[in-house]
Amino acid sequence: MSAFPPTRHSAVVAIRSQDPGERSRGYDAIVAAYWRPAYIHLRHRWGAAPEDARDLVQGFFADAFEKGTLERFEPGRARFRTWLRVCLDGYAGHAREAATALKRGGGWTRLALDFDGAERIAGELQAPGADPDEMFRREWARSVLEGALADLSTWAAERGHDTGFRMFLAVDVESDGGARPTYDELAQAHGLPVTTVTNHLHRMRREFRRAALERIRALTLDEQEFRDEARALLGEDPA
Amino acid sequence: MKAPDDATVARLQRILDTPDLGDGRYELGERIGEGGMGVVHVGLDRRLDREVAIKFLRPGALAASDVARLRREALLLARLEHPGIVPVHDLGELPDGGVFLVMKRVRGRGLDAVVQGGVPLGERLRLFLQLADTIAFAHAAGVLHRDLKPANVMVGTFGEVLAMDWGVARVVAGSDATTETRSATPSEGSPPGTGAGTVIGTPGWMAPEQARGDAISSGVRMDVFGLGRMLGMLLEAPGPAGAAARTPPAPLRSIARRATAEAPADRYPDVPEMAADVRRFLDGERVLAHHETPAERVRRVLAPHTIAIVLIGAYVLVRALLFAINRR
Amino acid sequence: MNKVMLGLVLGTVLGLLDGLSAWFTPEVRSLMVGIVIGSTAKGLVAGLLIGWFARKVRSVPLGVLFGLAVGFVLAFIIAAMPNAAGGHYWFEIIVPGTLVGLIVGYATQRYGKSPVPKTA
Repeated sequence: MSAFPPTRHSAVVAIRSQDPGERSRGYDAIVAAYWRPAYIHLRHRWGAAPEDARDLVQGFFADAFEKGTLERFEPGRARFRTWLRVCLDGYAGHAREAATALKRGGGWTRLALDFDGAERIAGELQAPGADPDEMFRREWARSVLEGALADLSTWAAERGHDTGFRMFLAVDVESDGGARPTYDELAQAHGLPVTTVTNHLHRMRREFRRAALERIRALTLDEQEFRDEARALLGEDPA
Repeated sequence: MKAPDDATVARLQRILDTPDLGDGRYELGERIGEGGMGVVHVGLDRRLDREVAIKFLRPGALAASDVARLRREALLLARLEHPGIVPVHDLGELPDGGVFLVMKRVRGRGLDAVVQGGVPLGERLRLFLQLADTIAFAHAAGVLHRDLKPANVMVGTFGEVLAMDWGVARVVAGSDATTETRSATPSEGSPPGTGAGTVIGTPGWMAPEQARGDAISSGVRMDVFGLGRMLGMLLEAPGPAGAAARTPPAPLRSIARRATAEAPADRYPDVPEMAADVRRFLDGERVLAHHETPAERVRRVLAPHTIAIVLIGAYVLVRALLFAINRR
Repeated sequence: MNKVMLGLVLGTVLGLLDGLSAWFTPEVRSLMVGIVIGSTAKGLVAGLLIGWFARKVRSVPLGVLFGLAVGFVLAFIIAAMPNAAGGHYWFEIIVPGTLVGLIVGYATQRYGKSPVPKTA
């Protein structure tokens, strides 16, 4: 396997680009991955009300884009995820101290963000008191996996693998314990041999793995960080 | 598509963590172990219809250096054919570009678990000597283990001792691993990412020079240190249930002490010398690492003949009693 | 030294010493020569038998038991012979004689060299 090419896909690199288009795309990728962890962090760690948290999230990313806050990240000292959370805490702290009236409806509006969905997840989480670092990591992992699923969906649609993708959803995404369909059931439902079902699922899982790792590559700067974040995605935060 | 819930996240994480072997020769089974860089699963070799162990890199450990390291481990193990080293059957490529190692499936328990079950001292020493012989063999083949610890030693079902996890092993210059390699360049023969200055080994088990980032210059004495720590662990392990707790014999403590000397030059020069001293203890001979007092010497010489001495003493006593009775 | 030879030598030596120790019983000093010859012969026979047993059976407990039995039986035969006064030295002969058998039994099991098995 070739070494990770950091300069090609990394959004963390892209946000430092002189090209405005590339810089914006870089920020889009970062916002897509981090807006919900940021929202939940603000709700639980800072106790912000839903509307305030929404505005803080959008305000934070807009402010970071304007001032180039996230570009000041130095690899080797911390992970980008940690750096972003620290910047977010700084922003939220300032906002609270200044007690400025939050701009309603402004901030980062380039992407449509499902705050209602985020609020649902925030409500289901454990009571405040849970480790904020761990909570941020967990929500970041959720975002990455969600993004990988979306990438997989696109990939399957482009290549005519919709059947395989639906099987993958049925077995690995939407099932829950006893409701999980067996390979035989899937084979019967789609009128296919079991070996074809197995092949489809292998292909989808392989591609999902690739998509998830690509998403992490986009959010890291170098190989060491990529390795650490890949493990963090699995819930194993190396010391 | 809505955001996945916690249960779905867990399922997706499991998919990420489980490598895809494709539809080739091997079938993946359950996970049976994991370390810093790799995970080990049970597998089935479809061609030979036998159970195997398959080692992969973790998803995050897919840098070129990590892949090279696993390849190196495979090549290294392949050249070490010894009953105490798990044989490598195959080195394969994953569809997504990673590599995997296929090894013999070993059933057994870690050395520390085995000796905690109350094993007599003689048996513990025999387990130690098996391990020492394995490491001595590796050294003669030009390979240093560099990460000897109980977790990396397994005792199989039939009492065989296996040295596992050669992931940070080092091939020394030439094939004579007993030659200290001060002149070797740091990266020569070492796995990628383990050059001079890198701390290689496990805290608490590695030699002081390894902890300082010098995992090269002391050569085989690094592994002598590791074996010394292992011997110390074995000596402190409990004896059989019901047996009185005893301080380990002084000569054995002296052996462990010499092997774990701070300065490499003060340790045994190689593993066979250390093993020979342990064998001397088992044979009732004088241990070279131990300064024997006259009383210890007498005890050592006479101990194997205790029963004979008691019997002769009983005979003399009976004769003396008869004499005393007759005089009366 | 093989087990039979060891038994022979040890039995003879211990039998001799056993006989000589009769000197400490004043009443029998006049019969010392006979006692020493008899005791030495007894030790030789016992040692041969016990050594042969050790060559055939490799077991310290069984070797010790056999030695004890042989030592006892031979000592009993000797002790059963009446002395000049018509009495018997049961205790003085049987106990040490049995112990000697026990010692030879243990020694031949523990120290004697076993025969090398014939290769096919």
